[in-house]
Amino acid sequence: MMWLELAFIQRALIACILSGLLTGLIGVFVARMRLSAIGYAMSHGAFAGASLGVAISVNPLLTALFFSATTALLIGPVADKARMPADLVTSIAFPLNMALAFIFLTLSPYVGLSSEVASVLWGSVVSMTNEDLLCLTILFTASLVLIQLFWKELFAIMFDRKMAEADGINTKPFLYFIIFLIGLVITFALKLVGGILIFALLFNPASSALQFLHDMRKIIMVSPILGAFSCLSGLIVSIFLDLPVGSCIVLISTFIFAISVLFSPKRRRKEVKP
Amino acid sequence: MEEEEGKTKVKNKALEEDLAIFLEDVSTIYEGERRPAIKGVSISIRRKELVYIVGPNASGKTTLLETINGLLPLYKGRVFVLGLNVRTYGNEVRREIGYVPQDFMFDPGEPYKALDVVLMGRYGKIGILRRPKEEDLRKAMETLRLMGIDDQANKPVGKLSGGQQQKVMIARALAKEPKILLMDEPFSNLDPDSRERIPELIGRLHEERGLTTVIVTHDVHRISRLCRRVIVMGGGRIVADEGPENALTLLDTSRPHILGGVWHHDVA
Repeated sequence: MMWLELAFIQRALIACILSGLLTGLIGVFVARMRLSAIGYAMSHGAFAGASLGVAISVNPLLTALFFSATTALLIGPVADKARMPADLVTSIAFPLNMALAFIFLTLSPYVGLSSEVASVLWGSVVSMTNEDLLCLTILFTASLVLIQLFWKELFAIMFDRKMAEADGINTKPFLYFIIFLIGLVITFALKLVGGILIFALLFNPASSALQFLHDMRKIIMVSPILGAFSCLSGLIVSIFLDLPVGSCIVLISTFIFAISVLFSPKRRRKEVKP
Repeated sequence: MEEEEGKTKVKNKALEEDLAIFLEDVSTIYEGERRPAIKGVSISIRRKELVYIVGPNASGKTTLLETINGLLPLYKGRVFVLGLNVRTYGNEVRREIGYVPQDFMFDPGEPYKALDVVLMGRYGKIGILRRPKEEDLRKAMETLRLMGIDDQANKPVGKLSGGQQQKVMIARALAKEPKILLMDEPFSNLDPDSRERIPELIGRLHEERGLTTVIVTHDVHRISRLCRRVIVMGGGRIVADEGPENALTLLDTSRPHILGGVWHHDVA
């Protein structure tokens, strides 16, 4: 187990656990609050942003956050009022962000697939720094505290936003709070999984947990565990088979989803709310 | 000017004390639509009144309810509930209104227990950053018992029958101990037995607790004997608003004439 003693591997392992927990946690809100379309668009916005950061040698975290926030600001009101179907919005946003990302990556000063470019594209184990770990830890702790504080309201909104509103809960601030969290989580987990695949990590663990559990309180605990497990095992597979880490994580989380669908007690259940 | 008016409560004391619901020349348009779903509607409903709203499909009954509790944005007019302007005091008003929406069907995999759903009715009232207490739980269980489904409290709500789900939604509306009850076709999915029992129960609660109750239905045969007033809607307008003496007789004797006319008008 020599490899375990390498500092960058240790950092990657911790980053995997934290990113998995975070994406699994926030993913439950994405799935239940019908935010998958906006989360999808924000993921690729972050990807385009990170690419720009690499191209102009600015910290990709900052540009990724800026781009995903801008995407949310542009798409949020549209998705909120449902003037346009969500799939139309994402169909336009996805290729646009991809096109921007590829242009930025072409303009980057790095030659070929340097680790900077690779980490933006499909994630990189070696790229995690101590600062990244600190950010992930702070973000995870803050999310836990805030979700715990406002659990009652979030619990009701995840059940049905209109009914929560009818009972006198002001739902809008909570919706924006969750969208803001999605942006942060995407930005900080992007380095590990890469911009193209980050959305899967936001969606798969939560969807798997929703398949076989009947209690929201259990789902919110199991989904982060599934996320962390996917990330950890994906990382180990990627180290041993020398494959892109993001791809391995996504393959494993998809496999878990497939298993949970096969063994789901909710036979008559439709797909997770889009 | 408009803003300032919106921020003040009703000045008229008599209005505040007497009226539970007050609409003045109200029109509501759904986003993306051109024609208002209700237009020029004015209604005053006094506290402790029991009012039925009848009319064919798409006559604006649901829109009217969701305009009263402020879920739909106003296009024109003023709405006051319990003396408060709904446009400004929406959340405060909604905490005092028990709302039973129409055709609420849960997905079988819905990860919420029946008791969770009922308890949620009290969340707005409990307030932000506060946890539900023992008393909240007791109230929620009490309303489930009233509905006769307390044995289903810990079952996933999606696994219950259509009628039981409807009872859960009625229990949710009652659990917050509202001052006003707005119900949209609340008895449509109930089994024949409950279809007698539950409306009677609502009537009793209305009398005992002095609950202002507004019930929307398109089934005029099911109007409670306790009913003192019937509002007939058609094409987004109020077609008839009958007082205690005339309402039921009018519906009985001239139903084909009035309602039939409305039905016809609406289809055309």
